Amino acid sequence: MPEFLELTVDKFTFRTATDRYYNSEGVWALTEGNRVRIGLSDFLQQRSGDVAFAEVKPEGTVLALGDEVAMIETIKADVSLPSPVAGKVAEVNSSMDITPEVINQDPYGEGWLAVIEADDWESDRARLLDAQAYFALVQEQAEEEMKKL
Amino acid sequence: MNDRRRKVVIVPCSGIGKTYGTVSREAAYEVTEDMRPADTQLVALSLLVLGDEDARAAVAGNPAVTIDGCKLACATKMVEESGGTVAQDFAVLDAYRRHRQFKPQGIAELNEGGQKLAHALAEEVAAVVDDLSRDGGEDA
Repeated sequence: MPEFLELTVDKFTFRTATDRYYNSEGVWALTEGNRVRIGLSDFLQQRSGDVAFAEVKPEGTVLALGDEVAMIETIKADVSLPSPVAGKVAEVNSSMDITPEVINQDPYGEGWLAVIEADDWESDRARLLDAQAYFALVQEQAEEEMKKL
Repeated sequence: MNDRRRKVVIVPCSGIGKTYGTVSREAAYEVTEDMRPADTQLVALSLLVLGDEDARAAVAGNPAVTIDGCKLACATKMVEESGGTVAQDFAVLDAYRRHRQFKPQGIAELNEGGQKLAHALAEEVAAVVDDLSRDGGEDA
């Protein structure tokens, strides 16, 4: 079980898992040897809304850093998710076809999107945010959202 | 003539300014006004929230079908808190998953996809109304 940094804004609480890295769009990356599991941060899933459909690039797809790895359709919008790592899609979460709401229910666990065989994880990691840096970004973005209300 | 048949209460989402809330209400209107007007009664969620006596009595004395616009499930929760029994709860998101070809958009006015989704949902609700009416439509 990862530990979390928590931010409460109005009636919302956003958790940031401390054991992984993030791109600025809110896609997390967790290393497992030379493979990298990816998914949506809690902030991104809450901001995006209830997921109706999730389409992840199929196994074998070769991705450059920032390429779209998945598209989720929520009650609010269609959200394109850029890959936080370059490499080949090695595994796709089969739950995405049947119960994509697992993204909302367990974004850091059962709601993972895919596993990528990374080309050069160390290089990609240097471009990502650690949990503290992403948490600061979440604070900033959450405050911006509050100003719109 | 005194109508002794119990009516099925339909309670949609009250989310104003939300596409899925609009779909839920359009479906509810279609069931109660066009498809099954004799067998159903529309109850506004807002009246339940306000504690309106007639609305509370309606849900307390009749089976209810709720149509929620999001996972907060306000309609379902409010019927239960008002002493009612939810015979069937529908969620617009689940209906959309069953009818992906009908993508809802718009708020005050739904797009064609939203209207078709509302119609498809209304047909599902009407089928439940038929079941409930068959199972216990007459007052004892």
